Amino acid sequence: MIRGLQDIIRKVRPHLRLNTRLINYYWQRTKRNKLAVAGLSFLIFLVALAIIGPFFTLDPTEVNFEEKNIPPVGFGIEQSVYNIETDEFTTKEIHGTWRHPLGTDSKGRDMLAMIVSGARISLLVGLIATGIAIILGTIIGVLSAYLGGWADNALMRFTDVMMTFPFFLLLVLIVFIFGSNLAFIVLAIGLTGWTGTARLLRSESLSLRTREFITAAKAMGASDNRVIFRHLIPNVISLIIVIATLSIPGVILAEAALSFIGLGDPTVPSWGIILEAGQHSLNTAWWVAVEPGIMLFLTVLAFNFLGDGLRDAFDPKSNI
Amino acid sequence: MGKSWLRDYIIKRLIYSIIIAFGVITITFILVRVGPSSPADKYLANIAATGQDPAQVTAAIDARYGLDKPILVQYADYMGNLFRGNWGWSFSTSMPVIELIKTHWIYSFQLILLSSLFAAFLGILIGIYSAVKQYTKTDYAFTFISFTGISIPNFWLGVMLILIFSVKLGLFKTYYDTTLPLFSIDNLKALVLPVITLGTGMLAGYVRYTRSAMLDNLRKAFVTTARAKGLPERTVIGKHVFRNAMLPLITIIMFDLGSIVFGGAYLTEIIFGIPGLGQVSFNAIFANDYPVVVAVTLIGTFLVLLINLMTDITYTYLDPRIRYD
Amino acid sequence: MENVILKVSDLKTYFFTRGGIVKAVDGVDFELRHGECLCLVGESGCGKTVTALSILRLFDSPPGEIVGGQISRDGLDLAKCSLRQLRQIRGNDIAIVFQEAQSALNPVLTIGDQIIEQIRIHMPVDYTRARDRAATLLKEMGIPSAERVLSYYPHQLSGGMKQRVLIAMGLSCDPQILIADEPTTAVDVTIKAQILDIFHELKVSRQLSTIFITHDLAVVAEIGDRAVIMYGGKDVETAQVSEIISNPKHPYTSGLIECLPDVSKSTDRLTSIPGTTPNPIEMPKGCAFHPRCPKAMKICKQQEPPEIITSKEHKVSCHLYT
Repeated sequence: MIRGLQDIIRKVRPHLRLNTRLINYYWQRTKRNKLAVAGLSFLIFLVALAIIGPFFTLDPTEVNFEEKNIPPVGFGIEQSVYNIETDEFTTKEIHGTWRHPLGTDSKGRDMLAMIVSGARISLLVGLIATGIAIILGTIIGVLSAYLGGWADNALMRFTDVMMTFPFFLLLVLIVFIFGSNLAFIVLAIGLTGWTGTARLLRSESLSLRTREFITAAKAMGASDNRVIFRHLIPNVISLIIVIATLSIPGVILAEAALSFIGLGDPTVPSWGIILEAGQHSLNTAWWVAVEPGIMLFLTVLAFNFLGDGLRDAFDPKSNI
Repeated sequence: MGKSWLRDYIIKRLIYSIIIAFGVITITFILVRVGPSSPADKYLANIAATGQDPAQVTAAIDARYGLDKPILVQYADYMGNLFRGNWGWSFSTSMPVIELIKTHWIYSFQLILLSSLFAAFLGILIGIYSAVKQYTKTDYAFTFISFTGISIPNFWLGVMLILIFSVKLGLFKTYYDTTLPLFSIDNLKALVLPVITLGTGMLAGYVRYTRSAMLDNLRKAFVTTARAKGLPERTVIGKHVFRNAMLPLITIIMFDLGSIVFGGAYLTEIIFGIPGLGQVSFNAIFANDYPVVVAVTLIGTFLVLLINLMTDITYTYLDPRIRYD
Repeated sequence: MENVILKVSDLKTYFFTRGGIVKAVDGVDFELRHGECLCLVGESGCGKTVTALSILRLFDSPPGEIVGGQISRDGLDLAKCSLRQLRQIRGNDIAIVFQEAQSALNPVLTIGDQIIEQIRIHMPVDYTRARDRAATLLKEMGIPSAERVLSYYPHQLSGGMKQRVLIAMGLSCDPQILIADEPTTAVDVTIKAQILDIFHELKVSRQLSTIFITHDLAVVAEIGDRAVIMYGGKDVETAQVSEIISNPKHPYTSGLIECLPDVSKSTDRLTSIPGTTPNPIEMPKGCAFHPRCPKAMKICKQQEPPEIITSKEHKVSCHLYT
């Protein structure tokens, strides 16, 4: 069996060698789309923020009631402070300081620190959950196309059933039943979000099989192996990349939405949880609701721009 | 040909939908039974509060839900119950789940209907305009706006709208009042922000789909023929191009309705306090009211199934190439 | 010059694209006379279709534009008149029939719908009258069960029937001029013969004046009265069809005639004109044909040839005749 595995690896390895010329070609095409480049830049910045940010920020869990509800730098807000001695409310104007560049929340926690931690969560969830969904969807889709017959039928009926569930409702149900652990949420999102990928990959696999360039390759004497690795897989990979890029925002939003309605993992500073808290303090600390939302918005926008740009770059028919 | 073929097709699709419905119920059943907490566990948390004997209550619930019977019997019972309208008992509101649904579904329906109309009407118009004026600044502006619309997290949009309009500007402060008639002025005013919240994401999508469907058709030969006949441009676009673009558009719109809208409506109802099924489910989650959560999920799914079926039939009916083949 | 009903003078239609300026039509002159069938002949890319589209200004308007010349019809310059005036002429006074009937008809509207629509735009008749007229037209085109066909959709008809429907549609408002853009190119041989018969009929019964666009000299010989040979966006030779075939003056025309296979001769290879059509963004200097011309002289590379009238209304643009 080990010999078998070694054989497979030996056969597959040369084909997995990255085709640099092709990658460069696609990269050149993507570069021309300014929005896509902007999106990519933002995402690189976000990843950097998520990885090294926490080393430079304050502790996001540190609670400090003395410093609660401070606005971000450059903003001011009126706060009414209860003076215990005189039994009166006096209004005081508070301004943001550089110590808390994005302000603090109602418990005095530093917003910047929380946003940065939230970035970590969102990106991790986005990548892992999407990864699960894509892998699952690809396997089911390609297998279905490859097997054909009743297996294909059965798999597709199953996919149809899963697709009928409204994504968010099913997610809520699963998290309600099984619990709000972050790892589990990631798993749940992955297990409910594969249907679109499965459909797309099945139809792509089916169509690829009969496309002329495959027939041409076979007519030139290419073996099945070669056909699969040199011709089929590169075509499918580009589709998978586009699907992945365009799926990540949905996943990030799903996790944020879950946290927002209170079904998220409470031990984790997700942007959704911050936003939920902010919803209740719109009068006293509006920035707590605005900041995580802006981050979510920009992240989703960036992925959408990038995904759209990649899709155009990979499509031979679009004139870039 | 003709009519009987359509009827056969409808019947075929109906049967298929029923099969899918069974699949949906089965998956739900599996989830419920496989879950770490049985309905009884969820009740237990509340039992402690009301001071009843946990063991007795568990036994009663087990008997009621038939959890002591073999799994296939449970499955059959479950299916049977669903069909007979026995969707369980909601203890947090002290009424049968089906009653709960009956009283609240209309508010969700109203919200979704108004949002869809808003989004479809505006979205299609902007999409057509954008396609006809491709490459102009207006087109780029609209494309950018629709990207934005798709990317804004709809729950954040809701909160922002509340922040800007209710808190800072003091408008739209009315809350939805179920004692007033559905379409009373006050209620409609309370629905403005929710409809914008739910509708914006949908609108952005419709703009993109319409634009792309129109663009696909604008360069086709029959459009030049139409112009060559001497027709005014608005007839060319409105009658010839749009009718062709509309076909795939209807499908996309109706499918979108199924997958994205219900999730969005759920969140919107929670944010704005609209007493629809989303709100009901949300309340049930925190009251650990199991059957309600399951029921709302099932209702949403069945509605999607219904919408898919109707879309399929509508499209088949409308496309002459399919109908007269 | 009896009865000139349409006169195209020095027409220039350019397309301003991101890749450069495409001079699709670069100085074309011809006249259409009453009752005649004028053929615009040339390989694909020579500008004949754009010329036809320019008459009714049907090309995509960004990026295309008529940058020069005149199109005179009945005292009106179609190149410069307003869109509203143009719309009254389209489908009414001058009609155009496209090739590829499958894509030229709207797939989601019935045949009747499409014909009646055109009739009611230009003629003040009610629906029933228009429908009757449409049925009559279809019958004239030799389409069986015309009444039923009116409620058919395009995909239910065969290729030949669709082409006839297109022609019927073109004739629906009794135009004075019919422009036919390669109506026999995308159909098989039997249909081709039928369609040519229809055009013969039309000429005889209605005295219809036609501009017939084709690349097939055989069709020209069969149906044309006069022919305009086009190359590189310009008209290079104009004459009566019999003249052109028996006495071609421009080397390109002779080349085209030689390309026609002769059934009586047996040969190993088909003759073709060497080289390819020029890139409309980078036209050769001087005479556009000189890179492929067997009789090219030094002056051909430098100067554009002037228009020379040789005899009996035989016009040619070639340095050989200066």
